[in-house]
Amino acid sequence: MRVLVLIVNRLLWFVPTLLGLLIITFTITHIIPSDPIAFIAGDNASAEQIAQLKEKFGIDKPIPVQLWNYIVGVAQGDFGKSLYTQRPIADDLVSRLPATLELTLVAVLLAAIIGIPLGVLAAVNRNSWIDHILRIFTVSGLAIAAFWLAILFQLLFAMEWGLTPLQGRVDGWGPDVVTGFFLIDSLIMGDWAVFWDVVHHMILPAITLAFPAMATVMRFTRAGVLDAINSNYVDYQQAMGVPRRVVIWRYVLRNALIGTVTQLGLIFGSLIANGVVVEAVFDWPGLGLYAVQSILQSDYNAIMGFTLVMGTIFIIANLLVDITHGLIDPREAR
Amino acid sequence: MKTALFLLRKLASDRTAALGALLILMLVVAAIAAPVLSTHPGDVSEFHPPERLQGPSLEHFFGTDRMGSDIYSRILFGARITISIAVIAIGVSVLIGVPIGLIAGYYRNWVSDALMRVSDVFLAVPQIVLAIAIAQTLGPSIENVILALSVTYWPFWARLVYSETRSALNETYVEASIALGASPWRVMLLHVLPNISSSVIVRTTIGMGGTILTAATLGFLGLGPPAPTPEWGRMIAESREFLPEAWWYATAPGLAIFLVVMGFNLLGDGLRDILDPRTRRSVDG
Repeated sequence: MRVLVLIVNRLLWFVPTLLGLLIITFTITHIIPSDPIAFIAGDNASAEQIAQLKEKFGIDKPIPVQLWNYIVGVAQGDFGKSLYTQRPIADDLVSRLPATLELTLVAVLLAAIIGIPLGVLAAVNRNSWIDHILRIFTVSGLAIAAFWLAILFQLLFAMEWGLTPLQGRVDGWGPDVVTGFFLIDSLIMGDWAVFWDVVHHMILPAITLAFPAMATVMRFTRAGVLDAINSNYVDYQQAMGVPRRVVIWRYVLRNALIGTVTQLGLIFGSLIANGVVVEAVFDWPGLGLYAVQSILQSDYNAIMGFTLVMGTIFIIANLLVDITHGLIDPREAR
Repeated sequence: MKTALFLLRKLASDRTAALGALLILMLVVAAIAAPVLSTHPGDVSEFHPPERLQGPSLEHFFGTDRMGSDIYSRILFGARITISIAVIAIGVSVLIGVPIGLIAGYYRNWVSDALMRVSDVFLAVPQIVLAIAIAQTLGPSIENVILALSVTYWPFWARLVYSETRSALNETYVEASIALGASPWRVMLLHVLPNISSSVIVRTTIGMGGTILTAATLGFLGLGPPAPTPEWGRMIAESREFLPEAWWYATAPGLAIFLVVMGFNLLGDGLRDILDPRTRRSVDG
């Protein structure tokens, strides 16, 4: 029952939070009385042309009216037009979303596949040299700047040794778009050459993105396993003569992973954000690269759209985390 | 004074925390003594095109950049920018976040609900995304990076102080002082605040590392202070067109960021072990 109340409560706050985010972003991008129209129209535009352009982009009206129009538009899935390309921003964002989601999901998966076993390893061998080496690894993972790691990887693996492509998502046009996830699309086409090419392009950006996440996963798994090892039921099992290995893999891990699984949801949200710089360095055609290009072009509408989509993904990820946590561990639902 | 000494002694006995403190000390020394320690102090603004893109040597420890300036000297002066951005941005965030958290935690009315809802909205979007939007609108400069970081970071302290205050209000000593007729301000400042200060200190130390990373990211994206400011993130961005030949150009500033952030993270972990026995690392690891 408490879980249900929690879910309804969180769902009810979803829309107000998004609305708040929209107002904040709108305010931020409109504090400075900038004049994007002068920028678009160029120096030789007549007063009449400028007025026409202002009307076209809806910035001839007072700010509160603009805000209201924007809210109404967003509610209908209309994020306005790019000041630079004049294309609808919603279309651009939708077409770039799969690239970002695919990269992020692969990175989260990598972080879990590598981080969880290493975390268990560190906990089981607590205070041994393995634990110390792994701790150095976690501490550095959280201190390294993603864009720097990306450049170092490019420098070594792509430029010096030529093992992977330098940047991009695929050579040529890539697979026919069905889902927008190239790994899946190339399999649907049954084209193994394209599939391997996509994998090759993905290795460096995915590992860069996964690196700090691996550190977090390891930390949480290690703490969770140590917590569980010190609990009564483990003492009981061992007293009953169950081998230590079986106790750890069958009983301890299941309880320890609750924390880690929850953490994966939060990690997903933060990776989507870290992706901005990683995409910029690897020229990965996702939302992050779109944002960086919009920054360079001072495209306010596009930046607003990007911020809102990021916020929405982040809020949904947190929502799912809260709900799963509430379901797994009802004590948390208080 | 006694507590400070106790803290220092504890820190000195924790090897990783001591290493963290040492790294931070190095940053501070580099920032203060940059004119003395640097081999080419003028190179923050001077260019020597004939000497551009030279590899590391005795003359140029970390090589030279695209303008022929000494990278080692520029990194030392960059420490000043890193420190000022991080200290001011975190200082402002603490000054905004802590009072909001205290007030929202102490009172149970619509004001406190409203304050927490506003900070939740800020926390609902990744910090870097909001900081990008702000820095982009305001234009590239140190002041605007600080502003962008402060606006996006205060909710962390508001949230933390809010929940700590709520649990402190259930403690007997707080209940007692309220029952004795202490004014809300007296309770908040003399009873609640001192008792939640350790978690604020830990959060602030770790927050410094995160802020430095975010500031460097903004610099890397071209949203930081403009050239020729020796901001570390910007230096890495500049190096990209000269890779792989000028590998030192990208490596040195990145290493500086890495060591400094690591310093704050290690010190933060150490402080948490000492100040917050509930999550002591020696127990959970």
